Formats: sequence, C-alpha cells, structure tokens
Amino acid sequence: MGSFNVVNYSLRPSKSVQRQIIFEGVRLLHDHLDLDGQVYVGFGSVWFTDFVLAHKLLGIRDMVSIEADDVGFRRAKFNAPYATVRVVHGRSTTVLPELYKDELITNRPWLIWMDFDYEFDESMKDDIRALIENATENSILIATFNGNEMKYGNAPERPERLRELFGSVVPDELSKKACKDERMQQTLADLSLDFMRSVAAEQRRPGGFVPAFRAIYKDTTPMVTVGGILPAKGAARVASDVVKRESWPCWLSKPIVAPHLTTREAAVLQAQLPRAGKLSRALVQSLGFDLEDDQIEAFEAYYKHYPAFAQVIS
Amino acid sequence: MAAIERKADANPTKAFFVRIITKDISLEDCILDLIDNSVDGAWRCEGSRPIGLQDGTDLSKYSIMIEATPDKFSIIDNCGGMSLDDAVEHAFSFGREATEDHDDYSIGVYGIGMKRAVFKLGGNIRVRSTYDDKGTRSAFAVPINVSKWLSNDKPPWDFDIEEDELLPNNGVEIVVQELTPGAAGAFESPAFLQGLRRTIARDYALHLNRGLRISLNGSEISGWKIELRQSEDFQPMRLEYKDKADNEEVSIEIIGGMAAPPPESNDPEEEADNEKQPHGWYVVCNGRIVLAGDKTAISGWGTDDWPNWHPQYAGFIGIILFTAANAAALPLTTTKRSVDITSDIYRRARPKMREVSTKWIAYTNQRKQAADEAKAKEALAVPVSIYSVAKRATVALPALVSRPAGERLANVHYSVPVSRLKKLAKELGGINMSNREVGLKSFNYTYDDLVGGE
Repeated sequence: MGSFNVVNYSLRPSKSVQRQIIFEGVRLLHDHLDLDGQVYVGFGSVWFTDFVLAHKLLGIRDMVSIEADDVGFRRAKFNAPYATVRVVHGRSTTVLPELYKDELITNRPWLIWMDFDYEFDESMKDDIRALIENATENSILIATFNGNEMKYGNAPERPERLRELFGSVVPDELSKKACKDERMQQTLADLSLDFMRSVAAEQRRPGGFVPAFRAIYKDTTPMVTVGGILPAKGAARVASDVVKRESWPCWLSKPIVAPHLTTREAAVLQAQLPRAGKLSRALVQSLGFDLEDDQIEAFEAYYKHYPAFAQVIS
Repeated sequence: MAAIERKADANPTKAFFVRIITKDISLEDCILDLIDNSVDGAWRCEGSRPIGLQDGTDLSKYSIMIEATPDKFSIIDNCGGMSLDDAVEHAFSFGREATEDHDDYSIGVYGIGMKRAVFKLGGNIRVRSTYDDKGTRSAFAVPINVSKWLSNDKPPWDFDIEEDELLPNNGVEIVVQELTPGAAGAFESPAFLQGLRRTIARDYALHLNRGLRISLNGSEISGWKIELRQSEDFQPMRLEYKDKADNEEVSIEIIGGMAAPPPESNDPEEEADNEKQPHGWYVVCNGRIVLAGDKTAISGWGTDDWPNWHPQYAGFIGIILFTAANAAALPLTTTKRSVDITSDIYRRARPKMREVSTKWIAYTNQRKQAADEAKAKEALAVPVSIYSVAKRATVALPALVSRPAGERLANVHYSVPVSRLKKLAKELGGINMSNREVGLKSFNYTYDDLVGGE
C-alpha cells in the first residue's frame, strides 16, 4: 500500500517546512547556475505538493512523477496538477534508466528529488549511484529517506548494516554510539553525502559533487534529506561558493521539529515576529495560551515556512 | 654508401620520462612510497636494526602527518630529514639510484619513489628538509615547477636546490599544489581517503604497533592488530630460519594459523564479502607489508599440490617476514607492492608456506563432516597477538571425528528482493543474518508451523 493511503502529505508541518527550505535553496541556485530548461523528477504521489512548488516557485515546466503503485498510478494521473506533468508507472530503479534515454528530458539539467518514505536500502543506493553517473551537468540531486534507527537493525547490528549499505566510505571506527538516537540521523546524513561525493569522484565527474542539502526533520518519524549539485566543470566554484555562504538555508545542524499549532495560535504568534528579542514562554502565556519552550523556539526558527492548514468543507 | 649528415634524434624528452615513470603506479602506491621514505628515516635514526617481530624498538617519537585535499597535498615528518648529499646524489637524480648501496634495513631510500610520487601528485612542488649535518642543523629546499621544468629538455636534467629556514624538527616536508586531476579527484572522494587510511593501517601495522604515529587529514591511524586464535587444539606455527641471497643474509619468519572460524556458507554474495576479508598470505619485507591477504598464485594458491583459493578456506592468515640489511636481497618488486616470485629465497620459503596452508585446507574439508564438533572447538580458541605466538615448527589443528553419512539432503535455492530479505532477517533475529541463515530459519519456522515437531 502506498503511504498516500496512510498519511495526508500536506498535514505534516515539519515535512512542509523542510520542503519550503529546500525549494528556497534551489531558487537561490537558479540565480547563480545555468539551469535553463530544468526538468523536475520526483515522486508526486497523489498530492503533487513538490510539483506545485517546482512550477510556481522555480518556473519549471516539464515534470515527471514516478509512481510504483497500480491504483496510485491511476490516481496520480487523475490528480496531476499541470498539463506538463507526466506520470510514469514503475519503480524508480526501472523507470530512471528509461528517463536517462528519454530524448525530451535528457541533456537538460534535472532537479530530482527521490522523496522516499522508507529507509535507505540497496535499491536506493543503486538509484543514487546511477543518477550521479548519468545526470546531465548542473543537475541537482536530493534524496529523502527514513532515519529511524530501528529500521537499520538493533543497536549492535547497525554499524555493520551501515557498512553493508554505504560500503567503503564508512569509517572502520564507526561506533555503536554513532548509530543511536539522534546521532543515527546525523550519521546517515554524513555517510550518504560521503557516498554521493565518492561516486562522483570515482566517476571523475568534471565538476564533482557539491554537497548542498542536509536536513533532518521529524513529524512522527525522523527523516533525513541529503543532496547536492552535480555542476558543470566551470560552475563547481560558483556552486560551492553559494552553498558555503552563511545565509545558505539548506544545511541544518538541528532537526526541524515544527510544533502542531492551531491556525489561530500560529497567526497570533506570527504577529509577534520578527522581533528584536526571543519569543519567551511568558509572552506566549500573556497572549492567552501556552507552549513548551522547544515548541516556541521551533516556531520562531521556521515561522516563515510554517504551513497554514484549514479544512475545506465541500 | 654515403652517410646522410642529419641524424635521427633519439634523446628522450622530460615529458616522455615523467609519463613513463608515473604511468604504471597508482596514486595510493605513490603516497605509500613517500611514507616509506619517512619510515626509513625514522628507522635510520633508531640505528637501523633488523625489523623482526621480536624487536622492541619504540617509534613513538616519530610522526608522519599527511594532508590530502582537492587543492593541496602535504606530508610532514620528524624522521630525521634527508641530507644535502642524499638530495644531490640520489633523491632527485634520475638513473643514479643507490638503493643497493644502502645497508640499513630500509626498503629503498630515495629511489625513484619520491620523484615519481610528486610528479603523479601535481605541478607545483616544494620539498624541504632539515637534518643533522655533523652536529649542526641544516636546511634546504627543492622547489619544482613541473611545467617550467618540462619546457627545457636540454641536459643536465637537474633541479635547483636553495637555502631554506629550519623546520621545527629534523625531517622532511613535501607540499604539492596544482594537483593533477587524478589526485584532486581522489582526494575529493571520502571512499578513496577511507581506503588509503585502511591500507596504511594494514601495511604499516608493524611500525604503527611500535608507536609510530601516522595521521591523515588530522586524524591518527591505528595499526591493524594482527591476531591468530589459540587453544589446546589450535596452535599457530611460528618458524624462524636464515637464508642467503647473493651472499646477503636474510632472516625469515613464518607465522600461520586460524584468524577466524571458517565461513558457514558458500553463497555467492557472501563469497563477495569474503574477498574483502583479510584472510590469506601476507608478505612483509623489512617491516613493511608488501603483499596483503593474498589468495593468488603469488603466494602459492593454485600452484603445484596447492589448490586454488576457495572461500571455504577463509579464516586462515599466514605471514612471512623477510628481513635483510640490504633491500636488494629482499623478494620485492620495484613497485614494492608485490613479491618477486622468481626470487630464490622466496621460492625456497614456499614449501613451508604450503605446508601450513594445506593443513588448513584439510581441516576445513574435514570440518564439513563434523561441523558441530568443529564449531565447539573453534569457540574455545582465543585471539592472541602475533607478537606473542610461541615458536612451533608446525601448525596444530584439531582432529575431527567425521559422522557417518545420514539422510539424503535437498538443497533449496530461490531469489527474493533484498529489501524483503532484510526485513525478514530483522524479524528472525538480526538484520545482518546471512541469506543462508534466513532461508534455513524461515524453512524451519514454516515446517514447525505447518508440519509440526518431529
């Protein structure tokens, strides 16, 4: 069963914040790299939230959504938001090799977001390797996967499992501690980025791989988003300068855990921002309600990306 | 017949020469060559003694720091430095190799290695050395701008040597900038750097275990702890003898036995993992591992009376150490990355290597008929460092009693997606469980459920 049957994608605030931040980053890259004719490739599911952003925010015209589920495929075709969205039926591992040869989109830079909901596994690794080997220059590759530690075995088994998944980039001294609790998602992010860099270096991609995206977010389960730019030879320096800036939004040291707020709470808090000092708990209480300190901090950090949800009665 | 006055130009160009010397060596081997020079320096400072397993030389005051980034490579040591004479006579000369003259248990001081390495690495090179010149600290530097140097083929092919400030410690500092695309690409790759770290940990294990410090990009590398299992039934062999190569004395030490229990399965995928296992033969020349985990004909597998390597034999480690004052007597290839199989002393050592190998092979064959008994005995054997293995002419392995053949067995073979296998493995007790184990457990589970107990 596809996860669209389990979760209404648009109702996950942390996911939504993360998505906004990533697209903001890609928009910045549009100012500096030659991304003309960029194609979006993703897993639009039946909601297509990322596709809408890709079109509205980045002006991307041609888009391809990969859908493995039979019923999901028919629903996705029905729900495709724009005339230029093509839905392709199959698993990414079988669909991607077809897309590399697709005359319509080959030789154009891709923005590909492999937004998985399950854990990093062997087939995901194969997809990422093949993408790095095949992507046109100036493509941007982003992958999201489940970072829940239990998906990678019990604590003592995890270092070996990671070695199996990421191969030679895993340090010999990787400890059990590095594979526990919040450290696990950091470890997964580091190893998957090291893996991507190594594949690009092994293959001697002229512009290499510039790591650019590293975000962990949590609605119910911790998810890891990583990725980077596969620049043209001459663009590597520019790309790496952009992502090294202090203001680059997509390299997050702390996980995004957006609080679940009512529309009213969010609106009242937002009206206090931006402000010189920090939002305090006392201030929230003075506004007539209450939140935990970490919820207040998280809202202040991400209020610009905080989604507004409302039930539409039809 | 009248001679034509013009002559065909047969003089080599520098570019041709550089291409030839750098073509057939890997980047990793080049870096190891530079480390060899540093290690030899440290060994010289310690009085150039034979480097066997027994020797207790403490190398903890020596360090080799390597930085490898896409922009710059550097190696800095405090291992005594190279003298101006060494630089003038050997280190930067082509064709005046003097390794044979050295009588100091080195593995080739300033041979072709350093030049080859720096040319392979990049185009802007600066080699600095500070050394003890009869009681006074002296320093010099050799700057090399490769494209400028290549632009003039006229002899003599020399490099300028300039005066330099003293380094903080006596030693050598090599900085290479304007890296070649190959070097820059490799240093960009975390996988290459991890691989290099692993190779250093393994090939310099004997030095690192004596305290030598080697760091790569700021983090120190710890030496591989080589251990063999020992118990009443399992006793590794440890043999020492002396031989002669062209009147040069060579000391030889052979150690071999069980490093880990043999594998349970011959599954092709697990066999692939097996290849990465550190098992097989190791050849050590003057302290440096030059051949690691060899499973090929070089160490004898697949030659007369000695079967090809098979994953069934995993678990075995054999180490043969050659030590000689003169590196020329060692069975070493010029790249220092393998063994010269035509060497007489090596040929004479091979039957001794074969003896321990074939005993292990026989044990793993016998073991298939008495797996439970074997496993119980193997479990009792504890890892012992190779330094503390007692002398013993032959390996001891348990004699197993084979069970009479029982019921006929059926083999079951099927393929499933890896993701499903992993999920089932996790539920059956461990995500890293072998495919074979998952198959057996799921068979037994279904059998108990549908057929019931016997």
